[in-house]
Amino acid sequence: MLHFNSGACNACDIEVVALLSPRYDIERFGILLEPSPRHADVLLVTGAVTRQCADRLKRIYEQMPEPKFVVAIGACACSGGVFEGNYNVLGGADKVIPVDVYIPGCPPKPEAIIDGVLKLLKKSRKGKNRNE
Amino acid sequence: MSLELVFRVLVFPGFTFISLLTLICDWVERKIEARMQNRMGPTYTGKAGILQPFADFTKLLAKEDIVPRDSKKIFFKFAPIIAFSIFTFAIFFMPIDGANVLTNSSFEGDLVFVLSLVLIANFFLFLSGWASTNPYSVIGATRVLTQFLGYDIPLFILALAPAFLANSLSFSTIASAQNIPFAILIPWAFILFIATLQAELEKDPFDIPHAETEIVGGYETEYSGRRLAFLKLAKDTQIVLGAAIAVELYLGGPYGPVLFGLPEPSYALWFIVKVLFVVLITEYLTCVFARLRIDQVVVGNWKVLLPLSIVSLMLTIAVVVFSQLMGQGMM
Repeated sequence: MLHFNSGACNACDIEVVALLSPRYDIERFGILLEPSPRHADVLLVTGAVTRQCADRLKRIYEQMPEPKFVVAIGACACSGGVFEGNYNVLGGADKVIPVDVYIPGCPPKPEAIIDGVLKLLKKSRKGKNRNE
Repeated sequence: MSLELVFRVLVFPGFTFISLLTLICDWVERKIEARMQNRMGPTYTGKAGILQPFADFTKLLAKEDIVPRDSKKIFFKFAPIIAFSIFTFAIFFMPIDGANVLTNSSFEGDLVFVLSLVLIANFFLFLSGWASTNPYSVIGATRVLTQFLGYDIPLFILALAPAFLANSLSFSTIASAQNIPFAILIPWAFILFIATLQAELEKDPFDIPHAETEIVGGYETEYSGRRLAFLKLAKDTQIVLGAAIAVELYLGGPYGPVLFGLPEPSYALWFIVKVLFVVLITEYLTCVFARLRIDQVVVGNWKVLLPLSIVSLMLTIAVVVFSQLMGQGMM
């Protein structure tokens, strides 16, 4: 799992960090925060994608080895949220890279993020990869 | 005879046993670290998450294998596998069930041989980072060597103290000479040895070569897929090797009370228990300490650890000579 902030207000980031804390501890499911995109399977995107960030987001996605998945966290990463139509914002993460799971909310609760990630795990286990 | 040899090399106490022990040590480390941080650790994969390292390993084997365009291809591809093989080969010289993996392969001086193997394997870890030609990897790789300059000499000196007590340079003789574990006879050397071991295994407070918050993944930054799997396995095997060296030198080796009249299985059991005990100590230290800077580590090793280890060696020799004189006097 790799966490990338593409221009969020930090609310979603704090909820993502809460996943690693003792209260929610996502390592129970064997999920760890990895430092390098080369080690990661899942990319967590928080925040609306700004024009500055789009290239970086794309590059990080391309650095990850297949099979890879993207989770858009928060209303902004799903669709652009309240920043939709702003002059420096492209919109949701799916404008730049293919997204597998959308988790709406402003910010979503950590439980919702865990639920989304587990749905992704089930989806990948059934082999319903978007490439197939 | 040859079939037995193949079994010993490939299954027990050879390759399969060492790999399984490595993965279980990985699970124990993750569990201890999680419990120290008031977390659960892996719970869902198998009983109490014990299958988590196996799952991670197989997952990495199935992933895409990226070789960066500008990397030194040959070194990048083979350095992790060679490092892993050298670490496993070094464990072959530990008396695990009362004998070495290759029976009768123990010789006078295999202590020196194993420590030089550790040096070569660390050099291959350096090569793996250097061949990636990624700035973070190169920084991590040079940090491996810089740190190694600092702790290699104290490690060697501290490994000599049990050799003086047992009057031998071979692991099996040192291990079988310990009626009382040397950790109790010469605790000062044991404590220093654990501290240097911490540096050798690149754990906190010495985890500078792969300091996540500074240089991403260190020398493993560019690795993905099965090469990353082997690099991680090499690191975990290094931890088992370090723990095994500590067990053989200071904790009485695989020898302990024989259970159910079966010497070899009970020796192997004692070996596992003692290795896990050393892993517990190192993981505890990892959780307690924060990371030092690279210059602090090198200065600390040369100015503090090296003099201390020489003093502890002199103290050990003094104890040996004194006890010999006392023995003569009583006769």
